Amino acid sequence: MTNNLKVLRAIKNISQEELAKIIGVSRQTINAMEKGKYAPSTILALKLAKYFKKNVDEIFVLEDAD
Amino acid sequence: MCKINKSLCKKFFTISKKYITFEFNLIPIFMKTHFLFPNKYKKFGWILFVPSLLAGLILFISEFDFDDNFKIKVFALINDQLISKPKYFTIVENGILDELILISIIVGALLIGFSKTKNEDEFISKIRYESLVWATYFNFILMIIATLLIYGFQYFNILLANVFAMLLFFIIRFHYMIYKLNKSTSNDE
Repeated sequence: MTNNLKVLRAIKNISQEELAKIIGVSRQTINAMEKGKYAPSTILALKLAKYFKKNVDEIFVLEDAD
Repeated sequence: MCKINKSLCKKFFTISKKYITFEFNLIPIFMKTHFLFPNKYKKFGWILFVPSLLAGLILFISEFDFDDNFKIKVFALINDQLISKPKYFTIVENGILDELILISIIVGALLIGFSKTKNEDEFISKIRYESLVWATYFNFILMIIATLLIYGFQYFNILLANVFAMLLFFIIRFHYMIYKLNKSTSNDE
């Protein structure tokens, strides 16, 4: 699974720390997701989608390997 | 059905809506059960664990006679000596320092390993879980090696250490993974 969190965050012009606080997770989690090291739970994905006002599948995209 | 009886239909949907809402409400409650202690217990864990582990190690290496110091009468579910048959439900005299140290190590380690971190979230929980799996494999691989290579009374010492060894490996692994994560996160400023 890939995601464009980093791009969306850049558009909103907020840091990992700020996004982490708004969503209610640790900064490590945001960082790990942006690096593709962590696939978030459905709840976390929905929270991110709500914040960025996108659909979940506009942020997170399945790859062939999934 | 709605055409036949409008009020019945309305009732049916109200009930099913209630039911669905009820179900949705249940899910987050279940997901929040992580069997973890609150964060404040972590420091009590360190206070119990580090001194008792050090004291245990020092006393063990210096061949301190645990059986001959701090003796009090205790209840024994089972008690046996090398030559005698085991006795059940008896009162025995026992040096209690080794029991106290071992329990303190175990309780301390449990509090350290299973108290929430300051920023506990699903990712940290995943790291905790993976560290626990890693520690289980590591511990039992060591146990297999020890079983194959160590004989006689020394094997009893290995078993004694094994009472808390898995927790120790878990704590080290978990904190190392968090440390590595913090390092890589702060590099990405």
